[in-house]
Amino acid sequence: MRGLLAALVAASVLILMGGAAAAHANYVKSNPASDARLTKPPTDVRVTFSETPDAHGSDVAVLDVNANRVDKHDVTLVSDEPNTLRVSVGAIGDGGYIVSWTTVSAVDGHETKGAFAFAINAPLPAIKDIGPSAPPPTALEIAGRALSYAGMAVLTGLAFFTMFIRIPADDAESQRERRLVIVGGAALVAGSALLVLNQGTNIPGRLLLLLALRAFAGVVALVSLAVPPRFLPADARREGIAFLGLAAGLTATLVSHAAASGDLGSVAVDYLHVTAISIWSGGVVAFSYVAMPSAGNADPRQLGATIWRFSLTALVAVAVIISTGTWAAFDRLVLIEDLVETPYGIALLAKIVLLGGLLALGALNLLVWGPRMRRGLTSSAQFWRGVMGETALFAGVLVAAAFLTSFAPPAQANGAAFDETKHISGIRIELLTATTLPGRNRFVVRVQQGLTPISGAEKVALRFTMVEHDMGEQELVATERAPGEYVAEGSPTAMLGTWKVQVIVRLAGRPDITALFTVPVSQAAGQEATTKIIAIPPYQLIVFAEPFQPQAGAPLTINVVVVDAKGDPVTGKKVHATFSGPATAPPLDAVENTAELGPGRYRFTVPGLEAGSWKITISVSDAGSGVYDLEVTR
Amino acid sequence: MTRLISLVAAATVVVSSFIIYGGTAAAHERRMVGPYQFVVGWLNEPAYVGLMNSLDLRVTDTRVTPAKAVEGLEKTVTADVQSGGLAPLSLTVTARFGTAGAYNGYVMPTATGTYIFHIKGKVESLDIDEKFESGPGRFGDIEPTTALQYPNKVPAANEIGTRLGDLQSGVDQTRLLSGAAVVIGVIALGAAFAMSRRRA
Repeated sequence: MRGLLAALVAASVLILMGGAAAAHANYVKSNPASDARLTKPPTDVRVTFSETPDAHGSDVAVLDVNANRVDKHDVTLVSDEPNTLRVSVGAIGDGGYIVSWTTVSAVDGHETKGAFAFAINAPLPAIKDIGPSAPPPTALEIAGRALSYAGMAVLTGLAFFTMFIRIPADDAESQRERRLVIVGGAALVAGSALLVLNQGTNIPGRLLLLLALRAFAGVVALVSLAVPPRFLPADARREGIAFLGLAAGLTATLVSHAAASGDLGSVAVDYLHVTAISIWSGGVVAFSYVAMPSAGNADPRQLGATIWRFSLTALVAVAVIISTGTWAAFDRLVLIEDLVETPYGIALLAKIVLLGGLLALGALNLLVWGPRMRRGLTSSAQFWRGVMGETALFAGVLVAAAFLTSFAPPAQANGAAFDETKHISGIRIELLTATTLPGRNRFVVRVQQGLTPISGAEKVALRFTMVEHDMGEQELVATERAPGEYVAEGSPTAMLGTWKVQVIVRLAGRPDITALFTVPVSQAAGQEATTKIIAIPPYQLIVFAEPFQPQAGAPLTINVVVVDAKGDPVTGKKVHATFSGPATAPPLDAVENTAELGPGRYRFTVPGLEAGSWKITISVSDAGSGVYDLEVTR
Repeated sequence: MTRLISLVAAATVVVSSFIIYGGTAAAHERRMVGPYQFVVGWLNEPAYVGLMNSLDLRVTDTRVTPAKAVEGLEKTVTADVQSGGLAPLSLTVTARFGTAGAYNGYVMPTATGTYIFHIKGKVESLDIDEKFESGPGRFGDIEPTTALQYPNKVPAANEIGTRLGDLQSGVDQTRLLSGAAVVIGVIALGAAFAMSRRRA
């Protein structure tokens, strides 16, 4: 029977993990791309996120510069593109447009929002402040989480305490044990109900299922008390309640930030953390409520022995909590300063401080009061006060944990190829790049104080120097595209190698803040697909597209380097291209500009192509022609 | 033969001087403001922190060939220098002795990084208000002297300021912790005293 239960639990974990990806669905890419300058209107807008958003509560709105919605309100998940929402766009004219998106996490129902812009034959519009990207939790959510965690802790800790530390000695203790089961079961049911209420009708199906299972565990615990002992002996009931507590803990882990990563290791670590803290905190409650009232009049040596057994269990739990908690903190914090600068970090710090207080009280029980009582000296009053203090601190820990699991952790998944954060003079500077391939790139600098974006910087500049070769120093000046977000585009990192990127942020009234990043620019898998050598005797053509992965409707450049048999550049040729693919595109003549592009370099500027496979026939005036294959993505 | 070698050597020195001079001039920003060409940079480049330096401003009128140096600007233009987003410092613009159309404005930069020269006023009848910022393709930033220092490394003034700030912060934290420890100690002593009285 127990084997079957274990198999059921394991199967449930695997099934539920399958749908988990990240607790906050963040922007990864879109079509049109962020800040795309198009020559003709798109028929739809597609946004890809770091996890599958719950389509029910998510939205993608396309707004014109007057904030009028111009899409068709038909947001759906795209079946052939993972984690992607699409919305149809009607006939829209030239101008700037803002895509405002909101996602609801399918894992824990948390909301994330953001915006980006694109333009059709017009300047890019400014992106207005849309508020925090992850709105703060509601009081209902905090209460629901804290109650749920309390229920899990009471059921699990009580069961372990009464099974392994001290079996209830008399009817009074058994009665108190039953009351605690009622409290734990009711807390689970009430906490789950509050969380469902908080989500309202936008609750994702997976979250609803897990909350229902959690509430069901509470109900079963309550019902178990009504079963006569001849059908359910006390030992079996305790085992069952331990299982229900552990199962409820599993539902918490499966809607946690750990489930966010989709990594089974993270989930296992989180579950160990939840279980250890439940055994310790619930055990303290069981000790104070079930065992202490009877123990007050008993031989202090008995109480001392119980303290010793419980302290050993607590020590193991503490070791597990510290090790798993440290691992999780490294996983979810970006900088140590996050502990005091971010809501998630502050909640974590509060939890650490409270656990520190608990450790001190636990040590007092283990090292002072316990030994005194084992020697026959009465210290039960002091011990009682200590246990009550521990219980109060545990209540604080549960509330801190409720906040902790409600806030978005600083380490968030996104689609950037390079993402690093530095903390300089109290300012967080985050550098993100769209790709680490050589050539044209988009550099995003996020400037924040804590998690508050810093708008209106006097200047944000990026300076590029190459480590391996002396390529001189180049500068790009970024413009503010959204509150605290500064964007620059260009091709300073044109060569494969290691680049030092110095980000200079100028704020009024203070010296420049300078952060240095090391960005590797490498040849990624698949890049060779866009850089090809075409033989057109007596010449060879090296052809590559910018950007390396062209998107439908967005302008692109096709570069052609013509070299002779010796590898020397060939100048003064007429290079011509014709296009065949999913739609018609007019033929083009390449521009040769030796002064700016270099000798033998020719360039086609293509206004935009439809998505699909294109064959571009490139001919050289006094030679033949060759075909360049190009894949244009949606 | 010796005379020929001397001539070649002299010519080499002259050509090298031009090359070196040309390289230095390249580390200045050139900008046309109306018909006038402004060449702006540091007088001593590379420019190092903690060393006396100066604005190097040269203005020529390009309407005539060859371009004519514009003189007398020390009376009609003002200049200030700004480091980062800090409040600017006004410079005293003086004509450079012996070089027509060249002007100085002395300053000792005490922080590394980007500097901006802001020049405004009148050039003959033209109103000007131009900002020249150090950086790639323009003129050099103020660089640290660390790599050049030997045998001891001396921190720059701004580094000393930062370190003193860090030290002060550490002292403040220690003071806070000491205060907290004293409070906890007093409470513990009070509790111990109360418990011992109760036991007695």
